[in-house]
Amino acid sequence: MLLDMQHSAQTAVVPAIVKEDGRYLYCVADAGEEASLDAIGIDGSEVYTIPYKEICAVVHSCPAEPYRSDDQKLAAAWVMTHQKVVDTAWQRWGTVLPLSFDTMIKGETKAGAQRNVEDWLKQEYEKLKNKMMKVRGKAEYGVQVFWDLRLMAQNLTETSPELRKLEEEIKTKPPGLAYMYRQKLENLIRREMETKADQCFKDFYSRIRKHADEVCVEKTKKAEPGWQMLMNLSCLVCKDKYTELGEELDNINRLEGFSVRFTGPWPPYSFVGSA
Amino acid sequence: MEPTRNSHATLVDLLDRVLDKGLVIQADIIISVAGVPLIGVNLRAALAGMETMLQYGLMKDWDERIRSQETEHRRTLMSPASREAIAQTNLASIQG
Repeated sequence: MLLDMQHSAQTAVVPAIVKEDGRYLYCVADAGEEASLDAIGIDGSEVYTIPYKEICAVVHSCPAEPYRSDDQKLAAAWVMTHQKVVDTAWQRWGTVLPLSFDTMIKGETKAGAQRNVEDWLKQEYEKLKNKMMKVRGKAEYGVQVFWDLRLMAQNLTETSPELRKLEEEIKTKPPGLAYMYRQKLENLIRREMETKADQCFKDFYSRIRKHADEVCVEKTKKAEPGWQMLMNLSCLVCKDKYTELGEELDNINRLEGFSVRFTGPWPPYSFVGSA
Repeated sequence: MEPTRNSHATLVDLLDRVLDKGLVIQADIIISVAGVPLIGVNLRAALAGMETMLQYGLMKDWDERIRSQETEHRRTLMSPASREAIAQTNLASIQG
């Protein structure tokens, strides 16, 4: 009953929205050029640019309704296509300000969506130019550092007199008491690990920071079993300086029990958001 | 060390960027995508799962995990109470 109501309510409301004209935005590029990138867009849409002065928005024309689907394969294809278009523009014009998936400008006024995009470029021109300047000649790289939990705990126990003593004591205790001691030992190890993780973060961060123009600290994520992600960074790096960053990461990667993931180059998604 | 952009191994890195980041437009001509994070959440779960599957070959695990995540997501998103709220809002907007 409820579902029926919802359904009829939706069908009554939706048509008015569907008709509206929209422009899907992929990125803003560093060129005041009117160009077509052919039908490389989402669902084979024709991608073209809307220029204002020496920048342009890379868009396709579509109904002003967000892309949404429960079909994950389709949604994945959309996201991949979004990225491909941004990459194509990035390659062609050298510098882009990428937008996240599913950003659209609508044509609510008589002027229409095309005009609204132009007006938006005009209005935000200074800000967009500044952002463009900030990322020109640079790319984003992902850096993730992991450590081997068991190896680290083992090393800590071996090098700490306090922990070693406790470990020896456990061997002499009757089972019940030994259990409590082991709990205590584990807590101590955990605390030591946290301290060590803090130290490593600071150390690695300052080493990586030297080779990047800007660094954005991201949330750490779940790692493979037995490993923990210590740091997750997005780094804005000059295109000719990434080898130096790579060398620094080699140094970290060589440390026993540490592993580094180095990804990119990405369009500067993490460095264009806020003004 | 050379950076990688291999499409399988860096799928999640790509999604983190394409779905969560990028230039923010502050204007009322932007289309509201309030209902859309659904796509991001589902997609990330599906693709992260795919990556795990490729890594460990755990097809069954993948399928079950995604299903339970999806169900959980739908449960929170579309509880009977919220469905009713949506239905009534829509009804009100028609009548009003």
